[in-house]
Parts: sequence; C-alpha cells; structure tokens
Amino acid sequence: MSEPFLQVNAVTKTFGGLHAVFQVSFQMNAGEIIGLIGPNGAGKTTLFNVISGFYAPNSGKILFKNLDISGKPPYKLARLGIGRTFQVVKPFAGLTVLENVVIASFVKYPQRRKAEKHAWQILEMTGLVDRANVQASSLTLAGRKRLEVSKALALEPTLLLLDEVVAGLNPTEADRTIELILSLRSQGITILIVEHIMRVIMNISDRVVVLNFGQKIAEGSPRDVAKNPEVIQAYLGEAPQ
Amino acid sequence: MSRKYLLLILFCGILLAVPSIVRDTFYLRIVTEAFMWIGLAISWDVLAGYTGYLNFGHGIFFGVGAYTTSILMNLCGWSFFMTLPVSALVAAVVAVIAGIPTLRLKGAYFAIATWALARAIQQMVLVASFTGGPDGMRLPPFLHPGFFYYTMLIVVGGVFALNWFLLEKAPFGLKVKAIREDDQSAMSLGLNPTKIKLQAFLLSAVPAGILGAIYAYWITYIDPASVLGDMVTDQAVVMAVFGGLGTLIGPAIGAVIIFLFKTYFWAYLSDYQVLYLIILGGVIAASVVFLPNGLWGTITSYRQSDKALKHEPVSSRSDDKGDPHV
Ligand SMILES: Nc1ncnc2c1ncn2[C@@H]1O[C@H](COP(=O)(O)OP(=O)(O)OP(=O)(O)O)[C@@H](O)[C@H]1O
Ligand SMILES: [Mg+2]
Repeated sequence: MSEPFLQVNAVTKTFGGLHAVFQVSFQMNAGEIIGLIGPNGAGKTTLFNVISGFYAPNSGKILFKNLDISGKPPYKLARLGIGRTFQVVKPFAGLTVLENVVIASFVKYPQRRKAEKHAWQILEMTGLVDRANVQASSLTLAGRKRLEVSKALALEPTLLLLDEVVAGLNPTEADRTIELILSLRSQGITILIVEHIMRVIMNISDRVVVLNFGQKIAEGSPRDVAKNPEVIQAYLGEAPQ
Repeated sequence: MSRKYLLLILFCGILLAVPSIVRDTFYLRIVTEAFMWIGLAISWDVLAGYTGYLNFGHGIFFGVGAYTTSILMNLCGWSFFMTLPVSALVAAVVAVIAGIPTLRLKGAYFAIATWALARAIQQMVLVASFTGGPDGMRLPPFLHPGFFYYTMLIVVGGVFALNWFLLEKAPFGLKVKAIREDDQSAMSLGLNPTKIKLQAFLLSAVPAGILGAIYAYWITYIDPASVLGDMVTDQAVVMAVFGGLGTLIGPAIGAVIIFLFKTYFWAYLSDYQVLYLIILGGVIAASVVFLPNGLWGTITSYRQSDKALKHEPVSSRSDDKGDPHV
C-alpha cells in the first residue's frame, strides 16, 4: 500500500483551556490493528470523537484514504465507511436488538427487507442472534457492548474504531470479543482499538500508540512500547488498570 | 391474516356507509369531528411518540391551514379544493421555518419554544388586518354534512395509512425512532438527525394544516382563539398521551374516547366547559401515573407478555441473565 489508509496529522482538540488532544500524529495502513492506549483522561475517546466527526479538531487534519475528512459530520463519515463504538454504550434502548442493527444496515441496504437480512447476518457473527427480538434495554453490559460492535459492523466499515469494547467483560466474554476482532481483521477491516486491558492490546495490536495528557508519548510494536520508560512512567504515575 | 383484512374491509365499508345510515346531522357532525381529532392526535404523535419531540405548538399548523383557506376563499375567491394544496404548502413552509431553529432544542426547551411560537403567531393573526383580527373570518357557507364527512374521512384515512406505511413499515419509522432513542448513536450510523427530524416535522405539520383548512370551510367561521388557541394543541396532546404515544392506533383510540366524552358533556351538561377541563386534567394526570404507556400501549404490553409466557422458551425471555452468549 503506497498511501496510508488513515493519517492523523498534528490533531489538537481543546476544551476551554484543556488540551484533551495535543498535536497528535500517526498513520494506519489498511488491514492493521492499532492499539491506542494511555491512562484515564489521556484523550483517547476525544481522539475517537475527532476521527469519527463528533468534534472538529481545533487544528490539524485527518485524511481517510487521502480525503480530508476533518470536521465532516459523523453521518457522512459513517457512510464513507468509518464505524465506531461508544465507550459509554448507546443502544437504542426502546428498540429490539435486531432493529438496532437494521438501522445501521440501511446505509448499505436501503430496503427494509434486505437490511433485515443483513442485520441477521451481523448478529450471527457477533453472537447476538438469540437475543435479536428482545429489547436492547434488557441486554446485560456484555450484550450491550456486543450490540455496539454489531451496529458499527452493520455499516460494513473499512475503518472500525473500538472504544473499550472488552473492558468490563468476564474472561470468557472477553475471549469471544477478541476472537471476533481478529476475524474482522482477517476480513480486511482496519481497526483502531482503545483498551486498558494490556493482555488484549499486546495480543492483537500490530502497533501501539500511547497517549498521555493528550500527547503522543510513544509508538511502536507492543513489545517495544511495553519497555518504553516514558510509558512505564505514565502508567505508574497514574493508577494502572 | 386474511381475517384481519376482511375486518378492515368491513370497517371501511361501515365508515363509508355511515352518512346513509346516520340521517341525523347532529350525529354525523360528531363522527366528522371525531375524525378530525384522530387526524390531529396521530399527526402530533409523529413528532411526540415516534421522534421524541413534544410539540406544544401543533395548533399552529391547524390554524395556518384554516386561515390560508379562509383568506384564499374570501379575498381571492378561490374554490375550496384549490385552496387545499396551498394550505398544505403554507403549513409545510411554516414547519420548515419553525423547525430549523426549534428542532435543535431538546426536551422541555423544544416544548416551551413551540408553545411560545404558537402564542406569537396567535397574537400576530390577532393584530393583522387581512385576517380580520379578533373578529375572525367568515367563509361562504356550504351546508352539506355528507361532503365534510367524506372529506374528513378520506384525509384522515389517508394520513393514517401514510403514517402506518412510513412509520411502521418503511425504513423511515426506524430512523426517527433511532433519533428518539439516541441521536448521537444514530449519527454514528449514517443518519442525519437534522434532516430526519425536519421530515418528521413535515409529516406532522402538513396533515394538521389540511385538517385546519377543512375545519374552516366546515364550521364557516374562524377566529384566532378557535383555530390558533391552546385548546387545539392541548386536546391533541391529551388524546395521544391517553391513547399511547408512538403506537399510531393508540392516539386514534384516545381521540375517539376523549372527543366523545367531551361531546357528551357539551350536549348534556350546562357547565360543561369548566367540568370538562377539570376532568380532562384529571384524566391526563391519572393516565400518566397509571398508564404510562397509554391505553393502547398498556393493552399491547399485556398481550405481548401473555404471548411471551405462552410461546417463548424461558431462555430467551428478556429478564433472563444466565444466557452464556451475552
Ligand atoms: N466534552 C468534554 N468537555 C470538556 N472536557 C472534556 C470533554 N470530553 C473529554 N474532556 C476532557 O478531556 C480529557 C480527555 O478525555 P477522554 O475522555 O478523551 O480520555 P480517555 O483517554 O478516553 O479516558 P478514559 O480512559 O477514562 O476513557 C479529560 O481530561 C476529560 O475530562
Ligand atoms: Mg475514553
């Protein structure tokens, strides 16, 4: 691949006086899984919100397949193929699990019947089939996280942003989600994943980007990053998760 | 399934035959007005129940439709049917102008803004000269109860069918519900909330405008209080809430029950106004407390839990926590 799939160029996002994300740059190649880590409040979710269009950056640029997408509204980016989950899950609580996913399927399958068929396939993949007709509000936390992923996947994204989809799951559930993420990679989806659980990040990421107080402090292979003194310092300074 | 359709056809047949069975114009008027309230309640519910926006200025569109038809017939000499599309269009334009700023607001702020807008428009019509100000407007009388019965029936039946298709069958219904449930999540899934909310607003406003137009020609006299006052909106709200928001059939049932109740008071009790309002307030308070999903919502949830108990295996019930997959 000659051109990077996603380029984050010197992106800054401030809230009042606070630099939630400051001059962060990195690149993703198609098909890669990149882990985005950092202590609480490091700016990971904010960066997700900038990439997915929920915040316009104060400065800097984001290029997706060489197209400048900075400041474009989220629904346009979703249609371009950027799917995201929310750290604080956002199910359509009053609708059924199937309906939740169908809504996302409309982007690629505007007809109701085709969208429903597609949504069933997604639920099959994410293991929510037998919950398809229950209200999303009745799902457990693990179910809701699966639903977040299902909705994002129903967009048939080429870039997937996963914000702590493993945290809070028990080990069996976590393993299932990791398996799912790996199978998505094998389908060619490029994935940016935020996770506090090091076991997850170290096992599935091709590269890791580390943020601390909004700034990028390290980037590299999981192994190298884990040995980086600045990273260790950042995690010891705060409470490690 | 086919029994359902037979019943539907029978029901439509009865509705079409009503004017030839009910000779007494008093009763025909009551049924005609009941249709109108069904239309107002279900059109209000498009925004309230499906999209999640409580519009306390719904009467604006009813009034605007009524005044557009009155002005065109009175001052321009148009025929009634020619005014209808114009009334619909004016209601649509007002909806866009009112919707763009107000639909950014959420919850109570939207309710207050639309209510304030309704009062402002009522005042504007009150002081304008081409609207007749406080004296209102008279329309050329057309005393043909059957005509208005059928006009209301066709319009309200059409609105009901359109809403049923768009909100219960077509993708649009799920899209507005997505916005109601979580607009951020909806946005991340490719939905443009501003556009969809505006479409819902139009679907809500235009029928109200057409109903206002028919009402004006039917009643032959309108003034700011009767078509732009609080009562139009308030009654539609009560009917929809009592019947069950976001269920389409619920607001229609609520409209019939509350309208008949009101008519009974009006016909048989002298102090009806005061008593009606007191009881209306009581009904709304009681239904919010005891029937939070409205009459129809409560009935269907009983039926569903019945079904679930009978047919669903225990493992897929919603309160089950032991499912290994989630
Ligand atoms: N909408 C907002 N308004 C003001 N400040 C915000 C907003 N969103 C985030 N912040 C602040 O920006 C900083 C980065 O927050 P962010 O949520 O991006 O961190 P994070 O890395 O995702 O943390 P966590 O691991 O706890 O999820 C924090 O100091 C946070 O308080
Ligand atoms: Mg976060």
